[in-house]
Amino acid sequence: MSTSESEDSTGLLRTVLPPNQVDRVFDFCGENGWKLLALGAVVGALPPLLGLEQGYYMTVVSEMYLFAILALSWDLVGGQTGYPSFGNMAFFGLGAYVTAILVKDFAVAFPVALIAAGLLALLFAALIGAVVLRLRGHYFAIATLGVLLAAQQISRNLDITGGASGKILLQVPSGTVFYYLFFGVLIAEMALIYYLSNTRFGFILNAIRDDEEKATAMGFNTTYYKTAAWMLAALFTGVAGGTYSLFNTFIDPQTAYNGAWNVELIAMALLGGSGTVAGPVIGAFGLHTLIEFVETAFVGWQLVLLGGAVIVTVIGFPEGVVGTLREYASEMAYYERGGMAAVDSGEDTEVTADE
Amino acid sequence: MSETTEPDARTAAAATDSDRAVLRTDGVTKRFGGLTAVDDVDVEVQKGEIVGLIGPNGAGKSTLFNCITGTLSADEGRVYLQGQDVTDWPEYKIARAGLGRMFQETRIFGDMTVRKNLLLAAQEGGANVGSLLRRPDDTLIERTEELLDYVDLGGLAETRAGRLSFGQQKLIEFAMELMAEPDLLLMDEPAGGINPSMLENLIEYIRTANEDEEATIFLIEHNMDFVMEIADRIYVLAHGERIAEGTPEEIQNDQRVLNAYLGRE
Ligand SMILES: Nc1ncnc2c1ncn2[C@@H]1O[C@H](COP(=O)(O)OP(=O)(O)OP(=O)(O)O)[C@@H](O)[C@H]1O
Ligand SMILES: [Mg+2]
Repeated sequence: MSTSESEDSTGLLRTVLPPNQVDRVFDFCGENGWKLLALGAVVGALPPLLGLEQGYYMTVVSEMYLFAILALSWDLVGGQTGYPSFGNMAFFGLGAYVTAILVKDFAVAFPVALIAAGLLALLFAALIGAVVLRLRGHYFAIATLGVLLAAQQISRNLDITGGASGKILLQVPSGTVFYYLFFGVLIAEMALIYYLSNTRFGFILNAIRDDEEKATAMGFNTTYYKTAAWMLAALFTGVAGGTYSLFNTFIDPQTAYNGAWNVELIAMALLGGSGTVAGPVIGAFGLHTLIEFVETAFVGWQLVLLGGAVIVTVIGFPEGVVGTLREYASEMAYYERGGMAAVDSGEDTEVTADE
Repeated sequence: MSETTEPDARTAAAATDSDRAVLRTDGVTKRFGGLTAVDDVDVEVQKGEIVGLIGPNGAGKSTLFNCITGTLSADEGRVYLQGQDVTDWPEYKIARAGLGRMFQETRIFGDMTVRKNLLLAAQEGGANVGSLLRRPDDTLIERTEELLDYVDLGGLAETRAGRLSFGQQKLIEFAMELMAEPDLLLMDEPAGGINPSMLENLIEYIRTANEDEEATIFLIEHNMDFVMEIADRIYVLAHGERIAEGTPEEIQNDQRVLNAYLGRE
């Protein structure tokens, strides 16, 4: 992340977009988080009222919200807590199947089925969390991927899930209902995570990410907090899955436990900036719009684009859009606020002090 | 402060003294494969004391700390905190019971702001879910300001902790412990890597924590001038064994210590 080596190219950037101005924007957002969220809630609620009809565009926007929920949920554990999961779609699929089965086979009302889906995903997360959250790094990632593959296989083999041919759901609410449902869940999740990120509970998650052993030495039973975050992520992912099954009117092992989505939602969080509330949402909106465009313009190339985007992000902006901007903004602040006084060996210290 | 603790005189008076000890280890032993890193070590730290732990590199000092904090589990022996046997407790629970710990390699949460590091360290309300789910209140935030000003890092509250220099990070780690207000603070080489001009300040900080905040302190240190100045009593480890105990003057004149340790330097 050395910013000093690209001195020339950032020179122009500095004139056009001075770091302290970006810093001011961040300060503004930090101080007005709730107002911005309320503004977003109003703006997002308007389109159907202003005449956005059911159809292609409403579907695309609804999916944007869906992906934002998935990316934000992933980030709560992957970004905030530092446990990158490759199995989040397991919660999605579980929620999707529970809702579909309850609504179709047991004639349960959709909202009730949706709540059941969320709670079951949460319970499932508590059970497997106790096992997989003991693992770290690669082992955790592989174990969660295993959970996803196993869940997919199970849905293929059972009768109640409709086996490999899945379930078709015909009596579903209108597109506008889904629009507001996805949007409402997203806003609720953003509000919750934003609130938590300013509490000591949120700090503990970040502390686990930065140095779990130190957090333990400070008196925190980290398993407890990791599991809580993981359950919360599962709750929202499960509800999103439940909503999706009726939204899509069809669910089978391939769509419920969609492997490509599993990668997309991670890419969205990383692209936007993990460990933040706005980052994964921005990433989801941006990448989904792009994918949608490529899908229509160059059929079949979206995975190539996705792969390319991930590689470019990881190499060029490991902190994502929001993280990179924040780093850029705070570059000067450290010195302005008196950090320089105590640094003896000149300019490089701030870079080496990173690790 | 307590000159009464003679390791060989285990009278009734000494026994009640042991019960009042903030920390007591009884025959703690830790082996790594064939190596006995800590060998049957007894130490006792009384309330209000500053006790030093010295010894050559690899003597087992950090390992003894790890056995006390529960980071490692001792193969033999018991650890008592405030008279309570905590040997089999999980690490987080021992920390909650009032034990603070600063690491030899300095550990803070690098991607969090300095302020969040401090707020997290506050033990007020403990791990109580209700208090964790509320935003930190103003008194807590004022306390972070106070402590940062105290260690001369005022103004850096909103800076990412990982951006600070090593010495600054050490001070942050110390400020975190002041925030936590532990009954007993274990410090692993607080003076290590600290700018010599800062040493006087550090001594001052540790004394203040000991006197005003009533923290009992047990510290490992290689800097002899530093430890001789600050400690009331000193334990010496060599090859995992406790080879001496006494006041700084006694230790400086102890032949075994000179042979094992000071003589080599
Ligand atoms: N986890 C471990 N596994 C194996 N051996 C270890 C482990 N930790 C420490 N040791 C060994 O135990 C011995 C004591 O190590 P320890 O770190 O406790 O020494 P120390 O007194 O703190 O030394 P220093 O002053 O260099 O910090 C050393 O020989 C070390 O190599
Ligand atoms: Mg050591």
